[in-house]
Amino acid sequence: MPYDDKAFAELVEQSQDMQSDAMANVARPIDELVELNFERAARGEIDMEANQRFAAAHRGAVAASLSGASALTAVGAGAVLLGLLASPALAASSPDIQMLQTAASIEKLAVNTYTTAETLPYIGGSMANSVVAKFVSVTKSQHTQHLAAFNAATARLGGAMQNTPDPTYVPVVDKAVASLKGLSADKGTLAVVGLALELENIAAETYVADVPNFTDSQARATTASIMGVEAQHVAVLRAVQALVMAGAPQLISLAPGNAAKLPAAAGDLAFPFAFYPISQAAPASQGAVK
Amino acid sequence: MSADNNDIQITEGQLRAMTSDLDGLNTEQCYPAMTAAAQSWAQDVADERRQAEPRRHFSRRSFLFGAGGAIAGGLVLATTSSSLAAAATRPMAAAKASGELTGDAAKLTGDLAIAALAASLENLAVFAYTAGLSAAKAGKLGAVPAAVPTFVTTARSQHMQHAAAWNSVLTAAGYKAVTYTDPALTPMVEKDFAAVKNIPDLLNLALTLENVAAQTYQGGADVLKSAKARAVAASIQPVEMQHAAVLYFVLGKYPGIQTASGTPLAFNPLTLAQKPTS
Repeated sequence: MPYDDKAFAELVEQSQDMQSDAMANVARPIDELVELNFERAARGEIDMEANQRFAAAHRGAVAASLSGASALTAVGAGAVLLGLLASPALAASSPDIQMLQTAASIEKLAVNTYTTAETLPYIGGSMANSVVAKFVSVTKSQHTQHLAAFNAATARLGGAMQNTPDPTYVPVVDKAVASLKGLSADKGTLAVVGLALELENIAAETYVADVPNFTDSQARATTASIMGVEAQHVAVLRAVQALVMAGAPQLISLAPGNAAKLPAAAGDLAFPFAFYPISQAAPASQGAVK
Repeated sequence: MSADNNDIQITEGQLRAMTSDLDGLNTEQCYPAMTAAAQSWAQDVADERRQAEPRRHFSRRSFLFGAGGAIAGGLVLATTSSSLAAAATRPMAAAKASGELTGDAAKLTGDLAIAALAASLENLAVFAYTAGLSAAKAGKLGAVPAAVPTFVTTARSQHMQHAAAWNSVLTAAGYKAVTYTDPALTPMVEKDFAAVKNIPDLLNLALTLENVAAQTYQGGADVLKSAKARAVAASIQPVEMQHAAVLYFVLGKYPGIQTASGTPLAFNPLTLAQKPTS
């Protein structure tokens, strides 16, 4: 179904404006805030030992995540993480800051992934399903806004903004993107959707796992407002994946009357869990600034 | 992606099988995490109540059994029994008549008041889906797309499981389970349901309820004092939003939270969030 290009362009512009506004809110000297954080630590106002305990406690979560079946969580991240956990900067950061920085690193990776996906003719080009193309564009914009929001929350707490993609997942994503070369449109679409689905699910599960643990109310509220949006991305991608695999991509449509054509199983395949899992959640300190 | 393919190349059974692995993950990995949070939270509130009312002799052993039993029983009933649907959809009038709203529920404060609110919202969703499904089966809503009964049946089952989770905490703490629908919203939903003439009407009503639930949990995730209570709310909020995403899609709208004019939103708002005092 063709969508209104003009309205959509306006939407993207609105999103960009929102991002600019969000970034303007954090235009205060970030470096000074980071420095202040270290000064507070030096004065004993930050419990360095507690922060180190928090980081150490998440070594267990790292192991749990590595034992998962997901390609993205099965990567060999141990060395990277051990380096992160041992860093003085990490120890100086509160658990809230570490969780926010990890969230930002996941968002940055999502933005990069969707940016690459948009360049593919069957995702963002002339061969693309219009609903999928719109979804990718809107979702990329939303992740950009999430990144800005997490960084703003981090800065407010005196932490360093995280604009680097999560180092644990980058090699896997790079490999997946490289494997797209030469694929047919159908196979390429499935590969991109599968990769996006994993990233979105990691984001959603990470935020579901983190929300109860934030001590800062604003950080908690920000993350809570994002976790469900990522879960909606997951639901959409599950439906798209199933319909493409079923050989029915034409049913990925918002056209009137399309609902009547959907098979019965399409009614609930997008939400298989009554309670959102956290088994693939990224360890809270995984993407913290080194 | 080929757009000219008009035939579905795999069967319903094959499409269903694609989600079977996820079903296994559901029981093995998801519920234990939520159950642990709910049970631990229930233990905390029971301990607090025991300290406040030492003469009420709360048994830790029986309490723990009760908490686990309530959740496990609720989950089983939610997927296999229609009797729970009846029990979980007592309208507000019946609750008032029985004195329920002026009894235990009126005494609840803090996190437990939010748990009671959450259970009553889940009951309201169960009511709407149960009534909608009955009307559809009776041919009162016109043509029914094949995907709609599937959606309604699974979403209703999940709402029943959510209600059971919240009620397990209340009953473990020595209070009655909430079996009535949300007093503030029930009149509006009953009125709106009376005006439902077709499937899109029903789905729009369901969409409102899903967004109300999601936003209430989101607000709850911020204001709940207990981290364990927040964990329960956080595990449910994204599921309600996934229900909403499917409803938007089936209604032909962009499949995500959006403004009234259809602009997608990057952050879920709180404009529909309910509070225990409402």
